[in-house]
Amino acid sequence: MSSDQDHLKETDTEARFEFKKEQKAAFVAEKGLTEETIRVISEDKDEPEWMLERRLRALKQFQKMPMPTDWPGQPDLSEVNVDEIVPYIRPDVEVRGGVDDWRDLPDDIKDTFDKLGIPEAEKNALSGVGAQYESEVVYQNMQERWEEKGVVFMNMDQAVQEHEDIVKEYFMTKCVPPSDNKFAALHGAIWSGGSFVYVPEDVTVEMPVQAYFRMNSEGMGQFEHTLIVAEKGSEVHYIEGCSAPKYSAFNLHSGGVEVFVGEDAHVQYSTVQNWSKNTYNLNTKRAIVEKGGRMEWISGSMGSKATMLYPASILKGRGASDNHITIAFAGEGQNIDTGAKVYHNAPETKSTIESKSISKDGGRTNYRGLVHIANGAKNSSTAVECDALMFDNESTSDTMPYMEINESTVDVAHEATVGKIGDEDIFYLQSRGLDDDDAKQMIVSGFIEPITEELPIEYAVELNRLVELEMEGSLG
Amino acid sequence: MSAQLPANLSAETVREISDARDEPEWLLEARLEALEALDALELPDVIQTPGRRWTNLEALDFESLVDPLNQADETTRESPEGVVVLPFTEALDEYGDLIEERFGSVVAPDTNYLTALSAALFTTGTFIYVPEGVDAEDVKIRAEMNSRSLFSHTLVVTEKSSSVTILEAIESGDSVDDARYFSNLVEIDAGENSYVQYGSLQNLDEETYTYSLKRADADTYSTVNWIEGNLGSRLTRSDVETELNGEASETKIVGAFFGHDDQHLDVNARVWHKAENTTADLVTRGVLDDEARSVYEGVQDVGRDAWSTNSYQRENTLMLSDQSEADASPKLIINNHDTEASHAASVGQVDAEDLFYMVSRSVPEEQARNMLVEGFFVPVLEEIEVDEFRDDLEELIAARLR
Repeated sequence: MSSDQDHLKETDTEARFEFKKEQKAAFVAEKGLTEETIRVISEDKDEPEWMLERRLRALKQFQKMPMPTDWPGQPDLSEVNVDEIVPYIRPDVEVRGGVDDWRDLPDDIKDTFDKLGIPEAEKNALSGVGAQYESEVVYQNMQERWEEKGVVFMNMDQAVQEHEDIVKEYFMTKCVPPSDNKFAALHGAIWSGGSFVYVPEDVTVEMPVQAYFRMNSEGMGQFEHTLIVAEKGSEVHYIEGCSAPKYSAFNLHSGGVEVFVGEDAHVQYSTVQNWSKNTYNLNTKRAIVEKGGRMEWISGSMGSKATMLYPASILKGRGASDNHITIAFAGEGQNIDTGAKVYHNAPETKSTIESKSISKDGGRTNYRGLVHIANGAKNSSTAVECDALMFDNESTSDTMPYMEINESTVDVAHEATVGKIGDEDIFYLQSRGLDDDDAKQMIVSGFIEPITEELPIEYAVELNRLVELEMEGSLG
Repeated sequence: MSAQLPANLSAETVREISDARDEPEWLLEARLEALEALDALELPDVIQTPGRRWTNLEALDFESLVDPLNQADETTRESPEGVVVLPFTEALDEYGDLIEERFGSVVAPDTNYLTALSAALFTTGTFIYVPEGVDAEDVKIRAEMNSRSLFSHTLVVTEKSSSVTILEAIESGDSVDDARYFSNLVEIDAGENSYVQYGSLQNLDEETYTYSLKRADADTYSTVNWIEGNLGSRLTRSDVETELNGEASETKIVGAFFGHDDQHLDVNARVWHKAENTTADLVTRGVLDDEARSVYEGVQDVGRDAWSTNSYQRENTLMLSDQSEADASPKLIINNHDTEASHAASVGQVDAEDLFYMVSRSVPEEQARNMLVEGFFVPVLEEIEVDEFRDDLEELIAARLR
């Protein structure tokens, strides 16, 4: 590891996430969700009429749809009262849409991202960075060489203004319609911030681009929208990170992610989710994959009080493929309900889903997944593997896969295991001189390695640190 | 939601059924209670994913399917020495107290709409009693359904350290022109250290809608093994379940199904680990041809107190036709970490390499395929202890392949 990365190791990981800044905002919307709120937000953003109309339509959907309450083992959402949420806080910065120099940010915001290690990571490993504070992006920058090739990486609000045609065509129309679920509808009504990524034909963005989302205020909701359009033969790796300090009241995060993977294009979407343990994380993420394209969803869910997230890939063109790698870690009071959805709608499509979960101290992890192979999707294959590790008798681990196979020339395999840490493994490591805690730590690190392998070294280190943090004090 | 029932179904109907069989008062009361519960009960749970309901039980037209007063069946019962095997009604004379105590104790009549309907209206079924220490092999019950609708209730009670192997087969007798409905509830109360193998072979004609719920309550050190074969019916909904309530109890739920034409098979295996050192093994193998459709749910539920649990589940489906459809959901619900649990499910075709190998050994392709399909069922056949049952199942599979 180079010395540049040492800061990640040296800083106290917990302190890096758990700090609060005084709320300084240029604009704070009223609590709750009414048509008036939405008009005010839209006006504050100076949006075109069609976007306001889409928001209002989504609001109607939201009001019509019931809360999901009857999924077996699902997180309790009874606390989630949208009328208690502050849906929109515009941070107090001079330049709307994000400065391109960290030094132009107010000290408290700059300090926040410094502590999170974002500028440092940008120097070392990234093609571009966007940083969102409360409801809007405050920093946005990409290396010039990508700009020259026509790659667009900007905040979503700005994209509505500058790339109106593309946004109008793709924004919550084809991929994630607001009617998909109640929280997609909520998102469609009050979305703010997020990223727009456009990669032109045959361009390979060699280093990842990253967006970081920070919620600082108590009782707020963050609803960023990410739209990625990867044209034919292009390649991009998008990383999102997120965190918030812990408050007694609940926070709500309900993001929307839409990815369009063009012919033979390759998109990797990695998430390291570390929301504070009072946050409800209810996202909708979906990709449409054309002929020969490849979509990869990599996610680590460590934080939040409750998460409901099932990234979906619709394999639309012949030979399209999908790879899901997810890890969920649930400690005390957490219910991490994640999984994957894949629709095989064309011949020779392929998906692999690998899910790892760890539950301890009364935490609950659920794997909930759906693989659908449509009639005519000949020679398609899917392999699903779920492994769960449990630390104690208070914790719960459920595995609930659903398979719908309408085509016979397919290869479908699903496997799952659940168990405790092997006593023999621990004994072996102890006999090599490790103490009990270190042995368990090492086994857990090994357990999640398939995920960390997929991430740039900075994030792998980060994820391992987060896991260590979760494990501290819990062993013995 | 309640389904529409025939107008003639009332407390009077139930009284008539009960009177005709000269039943004790408690059973009439239990039937009437079940009838009354209908209004508030729902049909059994069916898996639903976005935009799809895996089995559409709501579409069943009970008004025309259920004809409570004209139920008819012809059932033969073979019993080895030392074990009591009686038609349910006859058994009431001699074993009334025991039956009163255990009836509905494993499958409560108000479990769902269809169990309540069954408890209110059943006219046939068997009572099997294995006294302490008795080992009984090859109890055989063969039933023929001769009416539009038939409701059956079977109760198996095994005392301490006894053992029994049972075959129950059901097929259609006199043909009835229209759709038919068969309902089969089986309760097993397995006593301490007893062993039960309950094999069931359902081969009703393809105008029949079948609902079957079989559940066992396994006491300490007991073993309950289920073999469930489903080949008949237009629509089958079959639930086979074991509650491992006693320490170190064990269960196997082994299933085989073979659907063709437009048959719909909704087969489910569920186990609840509720005590320490319990073991479960769920094995289901199914084949689908033509436009047949299968739905499978397997549940392994490990409770908070089920320390040192072993639980395994495998489900494999073979698709012989492009028009067939296989839905599967193997579930693990784990609340105790001292558990070794796994499940695996697969869907696919007859293996191309296997087929190639056999053809290269000059076996004609169709014959090779049929042999591979028959071989696919071997793990199920091997579990069967009643020889006649194994032969019957093998024959039915072979007949379907011809």
